[in-house]
Amino acid sequence: MKKTLRVFLNELINTITKRSFIISMVMGPIIGVIVFLVVSALNQDSPNIVSEVFMPDPNAKMVMQGYVDEAGLIKAVPEEMGKGLKAYPDEAAARAALQADEINAFYRLPADYLEKKQVYYIREDFNPFGGMMQSDSFMSLLDYNVLGQDPLLLTRVSNPLMNQEVVNLAPEDPQTQRSEDNIMTFMLPYAVTMLFYSMIMASASLMANSITTEKQNRVMEILLVAVTPAQMLAGKILALGVAGLAQMVFWMGSGYALLLVSGSAFNLGAAFSLPLSFLAWGLLFFLLGYFLYASLMAGVGAMVPNLRETSQATMILVVPLIIPLAMIGSIIEMPNSPLSIGLSLFPLTAPVTMMTRMAATQVPLWQLLAAVVLLVGTIALLIRGVAGLFRAQTLLSGQAFSIKLFFKALFLKA
Amino acid sequence: MKTLEVSNIYKKFGDNQAVNNVSFSVEKGELFGLLGPNGAGKTTTIRILLDIFKADAGSVSLLGGPMTDEKKNRIGYLPEERGLYQDITVERCLSFLASLKGLEGPEAKKRIDAYMERFDLTAHRRKKVKELSKGMQQKAQLIATLVHQPEVIIIDEPFSALDPVNTQMVKDLLNEEREKGTTIVMCTHQMHQVEELCDRLVLINKGQVVLYGSLQEVRAPFASRDLLVRSPHPLPEKIAGVERVEPNTNHVRLLLTPEATPQSVLKTLVELNVPLESFEVAVPTLDEIFIQVVQRQAETAAA
Repeated sequence: MKKTLRVFLNELINTITKRSFIISMVMGPIIGVIVFLVVSALNQDSPNIVSEVFMPDPNAKMVMQGYVDEAGLIKAVPEEMGKGLKAYPDEAAARAALQADEINAFYRLPADYLEKKQVYYIREDFNPFGGMMQSDSFMSLLDYNVLGQDPLLLTRVSNPLMNQEVVNLAPEDPQTQRSEDNIMTFMLPYAVTMLFYSMIMASASLMANSITTEKQNRVMEILLVAVTPAQMLAGKILALGVAGLAQMVFWMGSGYALLLVSGSAFNLGAAFSLPLSFLAWGLLFFLLGYFLYASLMAGVGAMVPNLRETSQATMILVVPLIIPLAMIGSIIEMPNSPLSIGLSLFPLTAPVTMMTRMAATQVPLWQLLAAVVLLVGTIALLIRGVAGLFRAQTLLSGQAFSIKLFFKALFLKA
Repeated sequence: MKTLEVSNIYKKFGDNQAVNNVSFSVEKGELFGLLGPNGAGKTTTIRILLDIFKADAGSVSLLGGPMTDEKKNRIGYLPEERGLYQDITVERCLSFLASLKGLEGPEAKKRIDAYMERFDLTAHRRKKVKELSKGMQQKAQLIATLVHQPEVIIIDEPFSALDPVNTQMVKDLLNEEREKGTTIVMCTHQMHQVEELCDRLVLINKGQVVLYGSLQEVRAPFASRDLLVRSPHPLPEKIAGVERVEPNTNHVRLLLTPEATPQSVLKTLVELNVPLESFEVAVPTLDEIFIQVVQRQAETAAA
């Protein structure tokens, strides 16, 4: 026990005094502050510097575009639709205007437009993404005229679900009151996901790096004469867990402090305030996620001979952790879909997915408990396997990482 | 009293039988040599002694029984592949390694300071290990091996990559520890170092013990009846008791007849007024003995 404590203390001091650890500790809240400043500024009704930078006034610079209506469909041009558009009697006149830089592009509706459904967009430069610069004005004008110049019909066709009212039959919950149009509806779960992913990933990777470095430094043999592999494994897992937890608490604490001192600047509304229980579940899922991936990384560290191999092996093993990131849009939009629930229960994806879901909606208690039970069971199995791998013979040797060999070694020992 | 007793140990890695029925014992306060060429199984044997590896069969008794957590604190180990934490200061690295051996607090600091002073490392104590020269790192590694005043020291290739000054320093240190009563097992392939330092030795080849005993006991079966003589003048063609004379670069080798002794030949040379610069019995070196043993083993295997 005393030696485990010494390994723990040494590992903890080594980790928290590393420049990279200190930088990431400090940079986390700074990046968070910048992101939240931008987001809250975008959310405010009154214009401000941040919103001007990120959402420039669309009318600030009018881009003129022309059109040639050979089909004779455009009969009326309301004033608000005609802004930025100029009609030309034929293609030659439009081309001349294009060359004279009066317009930067023009549309040509051929006479058989309705039959052949063909329209031409003519511009001078070659730009595969040029279509993105087209204004919506001409499309609206065309719709307006094709729909018989009825503004009401145009509005309904262009946005048929406008002004929909969502009626929730579920009990009232502030989280369900979030507006779809509010950027925070997406940003909050996204930020939580990124936070959890990076923290679990960073802490667990430290484990593989620590063991591989000791192998490369040749300290491993000296350590093995003083401590048992089990004492070493326990000391390291605990130390790196504490370091990760300290980082998480620091990030969350500084975030909370900033929210308190900044007042209205960060006022995101009741719908976006996360309950205290979120913090408790967050700590629990972080620890479980950390233990799960740290065990896997310890196994990797025990097997591979050098840091290069460690990086390759780490890349393979963190794929399950990346899945929730890849599917984050779907999880946030449909947090209670079978896919989201499945990912939040599957132990390798559970720690991150569950936190994403919790930030996006109210997760039923049974699902939280089921995820915890499944995670604990998997961790117990993994630690047994890794303890078998964490033998002197493996630690003092080294081979190229193979996922097949790794899981064979891991589960045959479990 | 035996500090270490190794009985019939075996260890196999895949198809390779690294250690094959090795037995030997080391007395308290002895400087014992564990010899063998590269790949003979020396390091594996050492790792089994230290309980880093488990033997497939056989037993090891160290300090009166199997290895325990408490006994680990009474052992100092210098591995062949030196290892120190590179990114921390020398002082912190040594403090941590000492703490793993149960040495902490002011006493640890006092001893580390004393050793650093002795090894001229005091000025570098706050430097990161990776900033030290290779020689300095070797010294720091030696401090880590000795600082907790172990009863048993096991050192693997202690002279590898050392310059003559540091080689002498390590030799002095080993002799000093032996005088204190520390038991030392020195593992090396440099036979001449063993001849100079060790009381007894075991020689391993291909995982098996091929020679075991004191230097005299090991040499006795290989002792030749040859004499090495150096004289400023040519030796007489006929010398009583000498079967053949073989001139070499620096000396002349005299092969004796079965009934002659070195004393009788010396007497004859003196009577013949042959001026002598040196006269010695041609004792085989451990290198020569080893080559003979290996060749004999190969011949037996071929037969």
